[in-house]
Amino acid sequence: MEKEIKRIITVLVGICMLFVSLVVYLTYFQVFKAEDIKTNSYNKRLWINEEKILRGSIIDRNGRILAYSEKNGESYNRVYNYGNLYSHIIGYSYRDYGKANLELHYNNVLLNISESSALNELRNLVEPNSEGNTLVLTIDHHLQEYSRNLLKGKKGAIVAMNPATGEIYAMVSLPDFNPSTLREDWANIVEDENSPLLNRATSGLYQPGSTFKVVTAAALLENNIILNQYECTGSTIIDGYELQDYAGKGHGSINLEQALVYSCNPYFAEASLQLGIDRFSEVAERFILNKEIDFDLPVKKSSFPKRNIGKTDIAAASIGQGKVLVTPLNMALIASGIANKGDIVKPVLVKEVISKNGKIIDTFEVEVLSRAIDVFTANELKNMMVDSVDKGTGKNARINNIRVAGKTGTAENPSGNDHAWFIGFAPAEDPKVAVAVLLEEEGSTGGSSAAPIARNIILEALKTINN
Amino acid sequence: MFSRGINYKVPRNLLFLFEMMALLLMFMYYKNTLDKSIIIYGLSLIFIVYTSNFLLLKITRGDNYIFLIVTMLASIGIIMIYRINPGQGFKQIIWIGLGIVLFFVTYFIVKKIKGWENWFLYYFIASIVLFLMTLLLGDRFKGAINWISIAGITFQPTEIIKILTIFLISSYYINYDKFKEKKWGNYYLIGIMYLFILFLFLQRDLGSVLIFSSLFLALQYIYHEDRRLVLLNLTVLIFSSILGYLIFPHVRIRFEIWLDPWKDIDTTGYQITQSLFAIAEGGFFGTGLGLGYPDFIPEVSKDFIFSAICEEIGILTGIGIIMLFLILVYRGFKISINQRNKFFRIVALGISILFGIQSFIIFGGVVKMIPLTGITIPFVSYGGSSMLSSFIALGILQVASEELDIEEV
Repeated sequence: MEKEIKRIITVLVGICMLFVSLVVYLTYFQVFKAEDIKTNSYNKRLWINEEKILRGSIIDRNGRILAYSEKNGESYNRVYNYGNLYSHIIGYSYRDYGKANLELHYNNVLLNISESSALNELRNLVEPNSEGNTLVLTIDHHLQEYSRNLLKGKKGAIVAMNPATGEIYAMVSLPDFNPSTLREDWANIVEDENSPLLNRATSGLYQPGSTFKVVTAAALLENNIILNQYECTGSTIIDGYELQDYAGKGHGSINLEQALVYSCNPYFAEASLQLGIDRFSEVAERFILNKEIDFDLPVKKSSFPKRNIGKTDIAAASIGQGKVLVTPLNMALIASGIANKGDIVKPVLVKEVISKNGKIIDTFEVEVLSRAIDVFTANELKNMMVDSVDKGTGKNARINNIRVAGKTGTAENPSGNDHAWFIGFAPAEDPKVAVAVLLEEEGSTGGSSAAPIARNIILEALKTINN
Repeated sequence: MFSRGINYKVPRNLLFLFEMMALLLMFMYYKNTLDKSIIIYGLSLIFIVYTSNFLLLKITRGDNYIFLIVTMLASIGIIMIYRINPGQGFKQIIWIGLGIVLFFVTYFIVKKIKGWENWFLYYFIASIVLFLMTLLLGDRFKGAINWISIAGITFQPTEIIKILTIFLISSYYINYDKFKEKKWGNYYLIGIMYLFILFLFLQRDLGSVLIFSSLFLALQYIYHEDRRLVLLNLTVLIFSSILGYLIFPHVRIRFEIWLDPWKDIDTTGYQITQSLFAIAEGGFFGTGLGLGYPDFIPEVSKDFIFSAICEEIGILTGIGIIMLFLILVYRGFKISINQRNKFFRIVALGISILFGIQSFIIFGGVVKMIPLTGITIPFVSYGGSSMLSSFIALGILQVASEELDIEEV
């Protein structure tokens, strides 16, 4: 009898545990999983709202309409005014192909759907939701168009942003696609080996080449590793591997500044070995490599090697080769950080959200992502970058009467032609715009192909964008 | 009665209030297509539930809560079913009414007749006949054969077999000493149960396979003296489920859907993902009755009623339903422990475990905590067989909650 009751209670406890685990699971599901599941494009409820609510417009920083919805019988049609131009920013919203980019990320805002709560339900009864909110982007339409034209016919990405506030003025990734004709083009788009759906600016990972030397230089400056009178012969041998300069000629006797200005590979390779991987990676991570970037679009994580690496890997990393992989957005943020006295701010695409009554209901706030370096280091780096444009590899980015700071890069690509890079900002005294230009498999040097593009964008941005 | 005013602390009155308000809400929702008869039926159901709860106080000296809990569950179920499909809701009202009648009939019959513990063989034969009928006459529905249709009435024999099995197991353990003396007596029950499970597997009714296995395992764990056999049974069940996974594609597919339903969202994963959308959409408080889209889920009023409730009345109500089952199971176990008649002690346990396991399997299935197998929630889901057999089981549990004579074995 005793035994029987004991066993009965064991079974009862077992069943109770099953029920309690159900309750716990349901709560967990609701708190952590429900949000993601709801936005799945197979959820037909998303489209029911769609048919009843006029989806909000998307406009640029000057009020130009980029995308809007119009009534078409019972439902609404989405219109993309500029075709390919905003495919990687605004994306698309189709019943059968789902949503992407800002159309996806801001779906609830565009439809003015708020979290289901008793108060909101009540509000909905009184005043049914019929019209969504408008998104004001930080993008400048003119600069966006101008940038895309500069890149036309090439593969690559451009990011131009305000280094102090994080506002993105232009973001281009080529090849792209036309959201207006997505239905007709879908089969070609998904089969295209150049992957037009990939936003190279945020999700393309590339070796940064010599542009990464600014990060290496920052680490060297911070740790006081200064090889004065380094004798550059055009190559150096590390662990049996020969590491060459781009031209292979040798720069003679140089210091850190000259090494950056003339982009001397052996100098950085030797110096980084003294630096060591721990101190090096610590600085790289402050420049948000190996870190997630919280952004309005999906961003791939840039990577910097930390484990299981030898001397040759460190040397390769110091000149942006080997296992270092970055997104163009990350490079733009690195340039911004140096421009902004060492602080990297969070990049933003949406400036404001405006309700149907014209009220501003949400404004972005400047948020520091990472304090990468101190003001003195930032200042020294800036001067080096100014020299690099004035008399070094970045001469093609020079602008009359405006001091441009910049760094070129030509990244050896194991699977094809070299990538050409340029990062920079201007005016050096009071930076208003920072850019990163990447030309994928361009096959020429960053100085010859990427620098002139960056120059034109900087010039245009300074001309057109006020505030 | 009225001079004292109506005391809303009495659970019966609270239930009444709940039902009235829900009914009113539903009538407002369907105000354009409202039929006079549905109002009459709805009000009479509320009346029946109220008076039954009241009468039960006078009739039985046993547990007063199990019937109350069950009528609460059935009320939530009917509101949701009526909201989804008024036609089905109408039928469900009748099923519940019939169920309550059957509850009382069962209560009186089971109480009146003596000797339930002596009919081991009859339970066995009746179960086998029902199983054979299902296999020979059954219609394949959603891949499982578990419905048969006689003279225009369709029903699920498995629902009756569940109760027969509980009686069978109980009478086996009551007469265990007699069986033990026979040559293979120790193995009778395990043999019979494996036969039943095999039948269910042949019908491809995996949900019932799970219910029967866990019911048997739990009762065997409590009552079987030969502990090696319990261990053996557990190993056999685990091994055969692994074997089933490896051999039978329809078993494997259930697991694969469970692991990643999003991969085949258009085909095999469709039902469960629609269910997850509904639950996610509801949030803690629900969209409100009539304001969600539970009809996107296939079979919503039967297997997926829980998802519909979560969407429209909220996960907190869902948790409430789980808690009601928890209390029901707890009361059932309490009844069992207090019962001095060993046969009804085991029967009460069996019924409580049945309610508990069955509801857990389907709750867990629709929220994707465990692989989904299509079974109904007792008292809540739409469907006659399930409703009637659940009320019969409840009637038996009601008998077991009273002080009974101790059987002479």
